[in-house]
Amino acid sequence: MMNISLLNKKILKRIGLYILVILILLWTVLPLIWMFLSSIFPYKELISDRVDHWLPSKPTVRHYMSFFDPSKEISSRFLASLRNSMIVASTTTIVCLFFGSLAAYAIVRIEFKFKKAMVMSLMFVRMLPTITLIIPFFIIVNLIDTGLIALFGGNVHLYDSKPLLIILYISFTLGFVIWIMRGFFLTMPRDLEDAARIDGLSRLQTVFRIVLPLSSNGLIATGVLAFLLAWDEFILALIFSRSDAAETIPLFIAELGSQYIHDFTQISAAGVIACIPPFVLVLIFQKFIVSGLTMGSVKG
Amino acid sequence: MGSLMIYREMSTRKLLLVLILPAVIIIFLVIIGPIAFAFILSINQATPRLGGIDLKWRGLLNYIHFFFQDPQFWLSVRITMYFTIVSLAVELVLGTGIALVLNKNFWGRGFVRAVVLIPWAVPTVVNARLWEWIYAGSSFGALNGLLKVIGALPEAKNIVWLGFDVPFAGVPLLSEFFSWMGVSRALNMIILADTWKVTPLVVFLLLAGLQQIPESLYEVASIDGANAWRKFWSITYAYLKPVFLVILVLRTMELFRVFDIIYILMQYSIRVVGIYTYETGMKFLRFGKGSALSFLVAMFILAFTLLYIKLFYKEEI
Repeated sequence: MMNISLLNKKILKRIGLYILVILILLWTVLPLIWMFLSSIFPYKELISDRVDHWLPSKPTVRHYMSFFDPSKEISSRFLASLRNSMIVASTTTIVCLFFGSLAAYAIVRIEFKFKKAMVMSLMFVRMLPTITLIIPFFIIVNLIDTGLIALFGGNVHLYDSKPLLIILYISFTLGFVIWIMRGFFLTMPRDLEDAARIDGLSRLQTVFRIVLPLSSNGLIATGVLAFLLAWDEFILALIFSRSDAAETIPLFIAELGSQYIHDFTQISAAGVIACIPPFVLVLIFQKFIVSGLTMGSVKG
Repeated sequence: MGSLMIYREMSTRKLLLVLILPAVIIIFLVIIGPIAFAFILSINQATPRLGGIDLKWRGLLNYIHFFFQDPQFWLSVRITMYFTIVSLAVELVLGTGIALVLNKNFWGRGFVRAVVLIPWAVPTVVNARLWEWIYAGSSFGALNGLLKVIGALPEAKNIVWLGFDVPFAGVPLLSEFFSWMGVSRALNMIILADTWKVTPLVVFLLLAGLQQIPESLYEVASIDGANAWRKFWSITYAYLKPVFLVILVLRTMELFRVFDIIYILMQYSIRVVGIYTYETGMKFLRFGKGSALSFLVAMFILAFTLLYIKLFYKEEI
């Protein structure tokens, strides 16, 4: 008797667990599935009564094709914004990863005077809203452009250019990279570096031949997080870009549609495409990302 | 070590410079410099003119203005507080629940964990527009449709999810409180949309923490006759405390300065401090006031952080 009721309790617990798992899965994937379905709906069918229109009767890839069809005006804007996002996000990531990890290594391994102040200010800078940087940058860029236009005419300017976006993106990514890599180096044992030094490598050689290769896990984790951060950025692109020359994919998607018509077939299709790079990164590097997030939270 | 070694060796000072100088130069050029400039702007009245800017010294007047003369500022603070606290509460409860479930052994756990992280990778702008469409206030909207399918909403009725109705409109004290806080249905729905994207982050930070807890502790507690609730508070919570602190600090920073999702869905009609700062600084081009406001936002975040540390490490300090 006793055993049977215990067994029943166990089975009930298992069933309860699986119900919870299914609920979690539904909560996670239903919005994503809806975005994908919306992107393959014919427009007329998408704007009809939902209750009996959950699936497209004739699924279409037209909305995706229009982004890659050179005869459509929207295609050139879309492809340009995709390319801009790729260039800006990857350049920002590489620059910040290189300089940021070297600086983080120095902060962890070398004693110096203003170390504590530097770490604290890194933390404080993360508390400032992006707009703190936007206002001064807006004024500075205006001043520089006035000068550039006076010197070279209207073709040379900083505003609405990829280099400007890269500089701006570095401003919020570099501190982030230093912070996370610092967490990584704090947990990295010193023994191998000391061994390398005894084997006659110079300190700089030790950094480049031993430390950085040994940190590949940390570098990958930080790099993926930095890329995701840059790929996601919106407000800087909103203010400092305007045309195909610099507009990023988040800005393109935010501005899709007009005051009167929001064509959610098109918006969803663009959304799905914009999700692909981060999804691929997250699925491939899941373990690294989780370790990266934990590294960033090492107590200072 | 031999003198030869020392001769070849780079001094610590030089190494430090080589490693850290590039980053420091970049930080000074693109972070510290602009922030210092922003601070100067914040103590001036800054008027843009062609090819430059005119400054008129105002001391702390810009800051004083917001604190004592601008009711909109305090309304913005209240809305942001509501947004931050409610989001945090929902994210923490939901995140802890999901993490505890995913920490159990079940068939397909690796797959489920991989899937659960995905919403976090959805770009904020895409997330905003996705929920804008789910919340569509007509019969086309997915949420309205879903509620009709399960019978929670009559066929002929449609709810405008991103509308300005104050929650608990009929209830005397509550409705007044919520309208004083600046709460609207739209704000609550935005909290839900944001929570969907961010909870996976909370889940994964907690899961990493949960894996540090030795299983034997729970066994000992069971032998001692502790129930599930007691086990959660004296083992799980005790172990996760540092993780909770990290989540609180990280999330408060992000939530208190929220901008993207609210701007895309509501433009200037829900003025959290992030929106109000943007409006002041970039729409009306009041650079001085906008900068002052942005520093005030940072002060609030700093205050929150210190409060958490004090609350969590009361015993140790």
